[in-house]
Amino acid sequence: MTPPSPTEVGAGSVVAPPSPRRSAAGGRAGRSRGSAERALRWVVGRVAGAVLVLWAVATLIFFAVRLVPGDPAEAILGGPGSQASAEALALVREQYGLDQPLVVQYLQQLGRLVTGDLGTSWSLRADVAGLLLEQLPGTLALALASLVVAWLIALGTAWWATLGGRAASAVSSALEVVAAAVPHFWLASVLVLVFSTQLGLLPPVSTGTPVGLVLPVVTLAIPVAGFLGQVTRDSLLDAASAPFAVTARARGESTSGLFRRHLLRHAALPGLALSGWAFGSLLSGAVVVESVFARPGLGRTLLGAVTLRDVPLVTGVALASALAYVVVVALGDLAERAVDPRERAS
Amino acid sequence: MRTRPLPLLALATVGALALAGCTAGADDAGDSATPVEGGTLTYATGDAEPTCLDPHVGGNYPQALISTQYAESLVSKDADGEIVPWLAESWTEASDGLSWTFSLKPDVTFTDGTPFDAAAVAANVAHVQDPSTLSSTGYLALAKVTGVEAVDDLTARIDLSTPDSALLESLTQPWLAMESPEALQRPQEVNCESPVGTGPFVVDSWTKQEQVELSRNDDYSSPPADADHTGPAHLESVIWRFIPDSAARYAALQAGQVDVIDNAQPDTLVAAEKDDAISEIDAPRPGASNRLELNSGKAPFDDERVREAFVTGVDVDDAIDSLFFGTAERSYSPLSSVEPLAYSDPSLFEVDADAAGDLLDEAGWTGRDSEGYRTKDGTRLSLTFPVSTNQSIPAEQSLFEQIQAGAKSLGFEVVLQPLDLSSWYGALATDDYDLVSAPYTKVGPDVLRILFDTSGITPAPSGYFANHAQLSDPALDDLLTRASQTSDADERADLYQQAQQIVLESRTVLPLYDQQNHYLVGSSVTGVRALPPVQAVTLYDASVTD
Repeated sequence: MTPPSPTEVGAGSVVAPPSPRRSAAGGRAGRSRGSAERALRWVVGRVAGAVLVLWAVATLIFFAVRLVPGDPAEAILGGPGSQASAEALALVREQYGLDQPLVVQYLQQLGRLVTGDLGTSWSLRADVAGLLLEQLPGTLALALASLVVAWLIALGTAWWATLGGRAASAVSSALEVVAAAVPHFWLASVLVLVFSTQLGLLPPVSTGTPVGLVLPVVTLAIPVAGFLGQVTRDSLLDAASAPFAVTARARGESTSGLFRRHLLRHAALPGLALSGWAFGSLLSGAVVVESVFARPGLGRTLLGAVTLRDVPLVTGVALASALAYVVVVALGDLAERAVDPRERAS
Repeated sequence: MRTRPLPLLALATVGALALAGCTAGADDAGDSATPVEGGTLTYATGDAEPTCLDPHVGGNYPQALISTQYAESLVSKDADGEIVPWLAESWTEASDGLSWTFSLKPDVTFTDGTPFDAAAVAANVAHVQDPSTLSSTGYLALAKVTGVEAVDDLTARIDLSTPDSALLESLTQPWLAMESPEALQRPQEVNCESPVGTGPFVVDSWTKQEQVELSRNDDYSSPPADADHTGPAHLESVIWRFIPDSAARYAALQAGQVDVIDNAQPDTLVAAEKDDAISEIDAPRPGASNRLELNSGKAPFDDERVREAFVTGVDVDDAIDSLFFGTAERSYSPLSSVEPLAYSDPSLFEVDADAAGDLLDEAGWTGRDSEGYRTKDGTRLSLTFPVSTNQSIPAEQSLFEQIQAGAKSLGFEVVLQPLDLSSWYGALATDDYDLVSAPYTKVGPDVLRILFDTSGITPAPSGYFANHAQLSDPALDDLLTRASQTSDADERADLYQQAQQIVLESRTVLPLYDQQNHYLVGSSVTGVRALPPVQAVTLYDASVTD
């Protein structure tokens, strides 16, 4: 019962990877020190990477928003249909430091961020950190629920494609391509039309209850499920014809047992690696979905903030999204390690 | 990252409605019955979420819409355009025109218990005029006001630097509504979240990006003179939701999730017409009409012949008809049709492409380049047209594309630049435009002075200016100044007509239609109306039957 050596597994999955239970039991005693060091190095690397990402985000956002021609002071003073007086504009510029050179404004902004101060939103006249805390849960719930649903759909179709023969594989492949290519706003409109307007089953705009979450979640989940399904199905089909699968079959493993105990683990790997990406795409999809279904959340906040050149708020949302993304990618890595013992050994 | 309703969706919605319409039955009997007391009305707005619920701060239409439910002005306007009493019962202008005295309605209190009196009027005017309030619309409307004197508890005198024939119209605007002087003492962030007025409803809570909850003011006693009833509102509470997507708003109305929606787009209006369960309120906004302004301050539009060629050479009627499905009527006036003094002259806009071509030839634009555009001395006849995607609805943006195509056959190149709000302001401030469409909501014809007086060309140090046509005509300036100061109604009407004639004949504007403002109301609701000053909805007389 020794764990397989890395080379053995690395040479194209000739041997089915053992379950994590067994490998953990076998390897822990002799390698605990080395693995602690590795874990530490992993954590330090992640944190350093995260800081770099956050700095890059803050810098990019600042210059992207401020270098586009136009005057945020006009937007701060009420936006469409209001006419600002020169006095008010001058006052706003002074109050918000917009009369300073851009580089000075950038450094001031960076200085604030380093001390953990996200500043005050120009457009909503409220503390950015408070706004984010208020809006984050809605978006997080939406994105995570969508990710789960997307995985369920992806695995469901992959299962069906693997077990259902060539026709099922072709059909699911076609469905995945369509699903992956569907734009959110179109999908949202069609779902509302069918399930709200025609059938009257679900509310067309969000209600704050679980029922109101159904259409937004499905809208976000379907395109992501298309992507996840494609990669999952490919690796599932590869694994199904791999020697270890044939061996397992020869041992008398049932079809569903083969799927659950052997194939799923293989098939999930590329999908898990993509989960970080998927989460990012869900966050950006939230901009559209939250607007269409009138859900509160970061996506809608971002849309409004960008429109009004609200640098502190845009930066805040971007940093929060980047942070969430970094965390989810790290979790995805951990999940990969849990599923694939090769990752732990390397 | 912008959401834009898909034409396909419009078609699908129309189709769905055709089906839904078969089952919906009208229930007109409810209209004549006594209004139901109690109940909650859910209103869905497509306007931007206000950044502050105090209409003094900033001052835009989203604020006007919601603040009409909880804050009230000294005077209002009725459907005929007459000024009617609201928080002020009567008023007189001093013989020199330099002050107006208002008698205030007695026994009115703000919803925090503070009495409404002359001192409150003074405090409100001071609040709007305080630069740190950051009032824009209200601030400009009070430009001639030097101060307010509390003559006695219920008599307030507003003093002016020069006579202001527009003062009453200005005071009807929600951006100059009266708020509790006590509440105004609080920090601005707090007052933005929970402004305190005298209105029929009270702001209970504001969940950002979601909704504002309002409840009935049970002690309410100060409706405008043209309201349907007296005493507190029928509704017990109002939920004011923010639903930015037009199709989603309409779907929510159809599903009964919301009771009233605003910003109904042309495709939705067509669909709603076929639905007996939904009724429409067409309430064009006051002030200027929606119009293209031709920048006469620089080439090529500094040549009147080129301007005339443009406004008479491009047919916009068909485009408006097809893109707005007949829901928007063509305008031939610089003013909105709800302005009693609006003057139209359709004869100036009769389309004659041949004559327009001759005018361009005459102006020296005789060459043609490889793409078919006219040239003069090697320069292409090109027009820069920054379009504010925040202010122009999709149908209007499509209209501009049609105008672009129409102008091309005349030999004009129109370069459309879709811009977000800040960039759009930037393009105007740097004079980087030949054509522009800029809505301007204001009560009364005095808007002409803001839009066309020579002083409006010189950008303030801020870059702000409103005379986008860059029209500079001393005779026009004189008319507008005299009109803004006369207290003789007939003389005022005559002066404004002459002024509008000059504006139209200058060929610096191409009027399109009124600033569109359509509400849709579900069948369970009665008594909803647009309050005439700025046509913001008022829910005071409204009731719900289920």
